[in-house]
Amino acid sequence: MVQFVVDVLIRAVDLALIAIGLSSVYSLIRFPNVALVQYATTGALLALGLQMAGLPLVVAAIAACALVGIIAVVLNVVVFERLLRAGSAIAMVGSLALSMVFSAIFLVTAGPRPKRFELEINPPLRFLGARLTEHQLISVGISALAIGVFALILFRTDLGRCMRATATNSVLASATGIDTRKVTNTVVFLSGVMAALGGIGLSVKGEMSAQLGLDMLLPVFAAAILGGLGNALGAAVGAVVIAAAETMVTNVNFGPLFGESVLFIPAAYATAASFLLLVVVLLIKPYGLFVSEVKRV
Amino acid sequence: MIRVNKVRAGYGDGPDILQGIDLTASGGEIVTILGPNGCGKSTLLKCIAGFVRPRGGAVEMEGRDVSAVPVHEKVKNHRMGFVPQTDNVFSTLTVADNILLGARHLPVAERNERYAELMAQYPSLASKQERKASALSGGERQILSLARALISNPKVLLLDEPSAGLSPLMMHEVFAAIAEIRDRTGMCIVMVEQNAFEALGVADRAYVLSLGKVAIEGRAADLLADPAMRHLYLGGEPPAAEGKPRFAAV
Ligand SMILES: Nc1ncnc2c1ncn2[C@@H]1O[C@H](COP(=O)(O)OP(=O)(O)OP(=O)(O)O)[C@@H](O)[C@H]1O
Ligand SMILES: [Mg+2]
Repeated sequence: MVQFVVDVLIRAVDLALIAIGLSSVYSLIRFPNVALVQYATTGALLALGLQMAGLPLVVAAIAACALVGIIAVVLNVVVFERLLRAGSAIAMVGSLALSMVFSAIFLVTAGPRPKRFELEINPPLRFLGARLTEHQLISVGISALAIGVFALILFRTDLGRCMRATATNSVLASATGIDTRKVTNTVVFLSGVMAALGGIGLSVKGEMSAQLGLDMLLPVFAAAILGGLGNALGAAVGAVVIAAAETMVTNVNFGPLFGESVLFIPAAYATAASFLLLVVVLLIKPYGLFVSEVKRV
Repeated sequence: MIRVNKVRAGYGDGPDILQGIDLTASGGEIVTILGPNGCGKSTLLKCIAGFVRPRGGAVEMEGRDVSAVPVHEKVKNHRMGFVPQTDNVFSTLTVADNILLGARHLPVAERNERYAELMAQYPSLASKQERKASALSGGERQILSLARALISNPKVLLLDEPSAGLSPLMMHEVFAAIAEIRDRTGMCIVMVEQNAFEALGVADRAYVLSLGKVAIEGRAADLLADPAMRHLYLGGEPPAAEGKPRFAAV
């Protein structure tokens, strides 16, 4: 049971980092940016490249996160601001196209074979009977901290108040003296940083491939939609729900249920489980688990 | 203070909604913009604020051409306040956050002082400071929006139908408050209104728009007294002093 919780947390934090970014940016510019998952891969590959160039992993990770944040802002200004003038559907298709371009770049620069960070291999730690490695612990800790910092920014700072104001009513926000474009680009920067951190976290705990981002696409969207698109903290909870569903499918021995000693569901069904869950929840609560605002009639 | 010079404007590829509007407003005066639904009153106000970019002509503030200056910069550089006709509160934020957002660029001490003043002025908000704005009534939102604009002590205040949805009593209070602000601060106030009699009662000057042009302009008192104006735009006789019900055509 403890192992289950640990596994869910390990999976959930990185998912949450990307999903929170997706949801926050959505709240401001009203389209889900598919390319965000590719920012995660970009972050992981950049960190790996910088580590191979001789930087310590921590420095490489910080630099990679900052770089991805900048890339996210540049793409927002150069590509998405223009596409959005034609409508959010166009912008979403554009972000899909951009994702394909990213995939091609990853294949050309990093090749098709999976890679790993250079990490010392330590024996796993034991925690109340659950196993987890030191790297997993540190990575989960950093990601959880990042989520906490983002929540603090959102609810305790002027930037956060401006963000929520712009998300609620951008016309009124500018009439109140808020530079909504600057607020949006700051959030886009943060979403890039968080996506990169999520990608690095995922790669520290497993392998990194050019597919990393696209593999995350469905669970990240499921988490963000479950949480109610545009609701940042809802996305974090959505990530936990999705991670729990996935972990359930892959890690739980269903054998005893059917009178057999061992019966695992193939890991390939993990995504299917999260989607089944998503569809069921949306049928019951079409605006996600948490509706941030009472709909006025 | 504000000078609108032969402004033409419209939305997207659409026709000109404003077809060459001239308007001025100075400090210490209330200028009201009247006219039938859809004649372009809100568009003119959005043009002055900067939400709609003029296609021709210019908008000046304090002697400078601000036609291309973004709204948020005008709010800071020209101390402009704007109360839109609809969606005039941040519904997901609390009443207190709504108001304080309006004073982001003030020093904390001044901000708190102004906030306390406003709370004393509008008791209906004071009792609901921690409520979400989405939980307010239409009239309370109207007051909240006014308070959000006023907390920064603006020099220029643009109001789009501040009396919409208010009870007659509340409407008189709001108009009295607006007149009081003008007298005390010398603010330049431009106010779009549907309640023409009441608006002319507090305003110094008025513009009546019709089909994207200024049809009548003049001193508010003169317009109130003008029988033609009364017949065409105000829908008959002014309300009797005893306050018997009036059914005005717009
Ligand atoms: N965002 C918009 N996009 C396109 N057309 C618009 C937009 N807003 C207003 N219009 C059009 O511009 C014209 C003038 O609208 P405006 O809101 O300025 O009228 P108004 O005088 O304020 O009316 P009301 O008294 O009903 O508030 C209308 O014909 C309206 O259809
Ligand atoms: Mg209007």
